[in-house]
Parts: sequence; C-alpha cells; structure tokens
Amino acid sequence: MSNYFYVSPEQLIKDRAEFAQKGIARGRSIVAAIYDSGVVLVAENPSASLNKISEVYDRIAFAGVGKYNEFDRLREAGIRWADSTGYTYSREDVDARALANYYAQHLGDMFTEGQKPLEVEILVAQLGNKLRPTKLYRVAYEGTISDEPRFAVLGGDAETIKDRFALSEDSLQSLTVTLQNASRALSGPDRVIPAEELEVGILEDRGNRRTFLRLSDEQVKELLS
Amino acid sequence: MGLPLFSAHGDPGPSFWHYADTVGLAPLAAVLHDEAPHATTVIAVRYDQGVVMVGDRQATGNYIASRDVRKIEPADRYTALAISGSAARGMELLKIAQLSFEHYEKMTDSALSLEGKANYLSPIIQRNNLSSPLLVLPLLAGWDESHLVGRIFEYDGAGGCYERFDFATIGSGSPFAEGALRLGFRSDLDREAALELGALALYEAGDNDPSTGGPDFVRNIFPMMITVSAEGFQEIAGPEVGGRFRLINERRTESRGVAGGSLR
Repeated sequence: MSNYFYVSPEQLIKDRAEFAQKGIARGRSIVAAIYDSGVVLVAENPSASLNKISEVYDRIAFAGVGKYNEFDRLREAGIRWADSTGYTYSREDVDARALANYYAQHLGDMFTEGQKPLEVEILVAQLGNKLRPTKLYRVAYEGTISDEPRFAVLGGDAETIKDRFALSEDSLQSLTVTLQNASRALSGPDRVIPAEELEVGILEDRGNRRTFLRLSDEQVKELLS
Repeated sequence: MGLPLFSAHGDPGPSFWHYADTVGLAPLAAVLHDEAPHATTVIAVRYDQGVVMVGDRQATGNYIASRDVRKIEPADRYTALAISGSAARGMELLKIAQLSFEHYEKMTDSALSLEGKANYLSPIIQRNNLSSPLLVLPLLAGWDESHLVGRIFEYDGAGGCYERFDFATIGSGSPFAEGALRLGFRSDLDREAALELGALALYEAGDNDPSTGGPDFVRNIFPMMITVSAEGFQEIAGPEVGGRFRLINERRTESRGVAGGSLR
C-alpha cells in the first residue's frame, strides 16, 4: 500500500498559487486603459508575430500574459465562443461579461482540479455603445474576475506598473497621452521600450462594425514621439 | 454553450465551418422539400482595375415573393459573394462565408487569400447540394491583394470551383445575360465600360427571363451594381444605377424593343 501524505487545503492552494504566479512573472506585462474615445491595450512583446493582443469580436478584444500556448488556446476558444454565439443568436448578443465569466470558470476549474493551474492572466475589453458599457475585465490564474474601472495591469510586475501608471486627471485622456502613459508605466524610469517591442491594439469606433485595430510600428512611433 | 476548448489533436483549427460541424451547429445540411422563393440573375465582369457585379432584386416562388432582395453582399472588404438558387440556403451560405472569413482572420491574424476563400466554399456547396434539394449556387468575385487583380470564381452544383477570366453569370436569366456579355466583352474594359456592359446584360436577362426582375421604374427599384477593386467593395448609389437603366430603356424604346446597334 502506498503512502498518502496529508496536505492541508491551505497548503495545496498556496503551492498552486505560487506555481502559477512564478510562471506568470516570467513573462512581460500588459497595460489596458480606457481613453476618451476607446480602449487601448499595450503589451511589451519583442515578437512581432506571437501576439498577446487579439480581436475577439466587433467590440471585444483579448489580452493574455504568461505561458503563450496556454493563453493563445483561451484566445482561440474566446473567438469561437463569440462567433458561434453571434451566429446562433445575433451579433448584438455577444457580451464581454459572459466571455469573461467563462474564462473565470475555466481558470477556476483548472486551478482546483487540473493537473496544474494555468500560468496565465486574461483581460477581456469591451468598447461600449448604447447597449453596453465600456469595460475591462481582468481574470486571474485562479479564476478571480475583477471589473477594472479605468485601467488594468496584467503580469508579474502588475503592482509596480500600476503605481507608475499615473492617473493624473479625473477625465479620460486622448489616445496619445494614454499610450505614452502606458508605455512609461511598462518601461519604468530606467529604460525606454522601443516602439517595435510594443504591441498595441485599440478598440475605437471608426464607422465600421469591427472596432479592433492593431497599430503598426510606425503608428506607435508617431503616437509616442 | 461553454468555452469551446479542444485538445491539440481534436482542434478544428481556424475554419468556422469545421468548428460548427464538430460541435453540431451543423449548417447547410438540412434535407427539406419546400417551394422556397429562389434567386435569379447575377453577373460578374472583369475590368482592368477590378470586378463589376450586377444582380437583380427579385425573389420568385409561384409568384413574386419580394422585389428588393439583395443577392450580392460583401463577404469581407475585398470579396463580393452573390447567390442564386434557394434564398434560404443562399442566405445561410452568405452568413457562413462572412463569418468564416472573419473567423479565420481573427484566429490567425492574417486574411485568407482570394483563392483560399473561393476554395473554402467548395465543400460547403457540395455538402448542401448533394444533401438537399434546395440548391444554392454562388458566384464569388474579389480583389486579389497579393496579385493586384480582380478575379471571378464560379461553382457547379457539386461544388466544383472554376476561375473565369472574363465574365460569369449565375441564375435562370444566365443565357440571356451571357449572350450580351459574349458580344460586348473586351479584355481591356475600364470600370465605366464594364458597368455599362453589366447593366445591359442584366437588362437583357430581365427582359427575357420571367423570374429575373429588371429595372422597376414604377417602384424605383433597380438592380444592384457593385465594384470590387483596390478600394474594396463599393456599391453604386441608387440614383446612378437608375440613370444607367433609364438610358438603356430609352434607347430600347426608341428602337421599339430591337437590341441591335445599341450594344456599345
């Protein structure tokens, strides 16, 4: 008969949390912020093709930090969920809150029941219209979902970056100011992240059904200059 | 419906249709006997900077079911998709095509090639037409961003996909439209000439085929005219389309219905 050692639930959760946090801390962070006419997602990402930010639906975007294969799978599942929901019902029935909840449930399940917790943090952003508000939902590795009022930071360095992301004004800022602020918060005082290593996506009404736009290096450079 | 997660070997990839099939959304596989209204004449003509498409607006069952159907829709920014055959199945195909092209783009962060889009529809058409008496036959035209030309793809009932380098027609009015196109087509058509030829070919189809709706001067409903070029899918505004058909109609009235001589 094999020996089973007793592990208290507190210890088990602590170990799993530590494991997930360590994995997440290895990657770089993401800042998402609401600006005066949309939502901007900014990731520090040296790769130009392995994206951390993605379009999900007409007014919904996704961002993930941590293990690439894990959050990319969640990204794909999100697109599938959104497209099939819109196909079954109507495009206007696709709601970011529902998607964030599904992510939260899945991450929660994996945290308690999975072989190992997922080493990811997810952000679901929604650009508001007359049906729904503009929202930033942050989903942590253990399934905690939080509704962030103005901006959200994902990744290992979240607390430091959060403090640096100065909310100087009460009112929402322009895209330029918000992006500069986000870039400064990600880089810290000692360095400057080159525009090529910033992955930037926005949700903004431009008269089209699809509001997501991935900004090119040139556009980012111009906004940061 | 929960979060659709798949293991690596069971993953349907970036194809919405395969995904829908896997989870039992199963589009385009119904067998249903039905006298559904069916769609009618659509024309695509290539010109030097893109493709012109013209489509009639009438849905016909045992009577005229609708006079303002849109049979040409943008499948995405650079692709137009027209339908003929069963209206219900055609609309479904349009929806699947639009959704699939966008789905692919979001999943892979790159757009499908025009040829990729054309081929993608083949098995969907095949599945529908071999399992259902409600046939659907689309016509796909678009601006090929990698080769910078307008291209046209037509399909046969079994899903075969064929590229046409001059023009193509679908629907019951095809023989009449085809006749006008064969006489009027040149390989160096510009946009204006292609629009003129397309309008004339549709006028002929509307004149001869009972289930093709020609220009409706009483209700001011005119066939749809669109272009797909480097600027993307563009619909020609109603008043301009009306003007073109009025012109043809005046010429035809003057000649007391004789088409001869007014082709160019």
